[in-house]
Amino acid sequence: MAHLPAARAATTEDFLAQSGPELAALCTACGACFNACPMVDHLDLRGADPTMTTDGLRRLATGESAPQETVSWVGACTKSGLCVSACPQQSAGLNAMLLVRIAKQRALNDTHQIPAKQDPTLFPRLKVYARLQLSDEELNTWL
Amino acid sequence: MALTEDRVTFWFGCNMLRHAEMIRLSIMLLERAGYDVSTVGGPAYCCGTAHDHQPHAASNMAGRTVSRFNEAAEKDGRGTVVTWCPSCHMHMSDIMAPGNAGRFDIAHITELLADRADRLTPLLKVPVKRRVLLHRHMGFATHVAVNDRVADVLSRIEGLVLIEGPAHPGHMCSALATVPGALDKAASETWAAAVANRADTVCTIFHPCHRELAVLDGRNDIGVANWVQLVAEAMGVNTSDAYRDWRKGGAPDIAAIERADQSRYQLLVEPEIRRAPILPAD
Repeated sequence: MAHLPAARAATTEDFLAQSGPELAALCTACGACFNACPMVDHLDLRGADPTMTTDGLRRLATGESAPQETVSWVGACTKSGLCVSACPQQSAGLNAMLLVRIAKQRALNDTHQIPAKQDPTLFPRLKVYARLQLSDEELNTWL
Repeated sequence: MALTEDRVTFWFGCNMLRHAEMIRLSIMLLERAGYDVSTVGGPAYCCGTAHDHQPHAASNMAGRTVSRFNEAAEKDGRGTVVTWCPSCHMHMSDIMAPGNAGRFDIAHITELLADRADRLTPLLKVPVKRRVLLHRHMGFATHVAVNDRVADVLSRIEGLVLIEGPAHPGHMCSALATVPGALDKAASETWAAAVANRADTVCTIFHPCHRELAVLDGRNDIGVANWVQLVAEAMGVNTSDAYRDWRKGGAPDIAAIERADQSRYQLLVEPEIRRAPILPAD
């Protein structure tokens, strides 16, 4: 069981806006997170320059455009989490997985280097699954 | 109402709605471990993690869900939110809580069951004679050692031989689906490991992995089951798996389809349950 961290902002949107530059400032662009990431092999990016790629991570987190290698990498984050312990700045408060997440969001919404993928059918589909299987009582109390 | 550690909110997430039996079995296990469970999930309790492209909407979803859990803590004494889904758990810990004042603790279901292993172990009375390969991912270990927790509970079942499968990237199979080839590789490596180790069961931990692998049930004489189904089996509880049956060619009964709205079923569900298996036939 874990105690949740104390709130640092009024909304998650505010928190993410605030955290991007904070985490980017802690990042030294050493490339350790990139080197530890198992998705790099899937993307055939093992030959890319880790320093350049993670410098792009810092850029994205502050809302600036990044090289294509960085964009491909953050766009393929599957939350393996190996970057977290690989980061030499972890003890200074840098959560590398969160930095990658924020960078991906910025690439989606600010620099528009990742196209938005929307599935407007997700919630309607789940509601059909619920009505296929749940009793009236479960529908009323769980959802 | 005063908070008590036995009163919990079980937050099953959104996509678990495909697997009603797993939700019910999870509730049963928590109750048999001595917890008083209130169950919630679905779109009204969305964490927002799948809505990165809509940051304002995602933020509102997160705020709404945290405030509902705060209310459960204050009015109903439920100070612990128990997660199933690793996406929900990580999103709560890393993003929702720092942006909303949560007045509750968080725990994964495997942590709570491990805490009460002394109560659960005597209930595992029925031998389960299976060679079980555990389908694992690397992710989520940053928050909860879920592979170890599930292995621990399965190892308490008499007759069950546990084989730890390869640890795949990501926190669950759905994450891999966005990277070309990654999901196919994980599925084929799991299946190859099951065959090589003469397993008769592949055990999934999370629902998206079950969603992908369930259709392979029976191939090479290997079944597919989720860990809660195996634990329930050891308790002498008969389990079913509608999603697995549908993926293998079955269908919901007509009354259920009519209740869900036949046209919506045909539009939204049938294409999913009829899609080709992740691994081609031998």
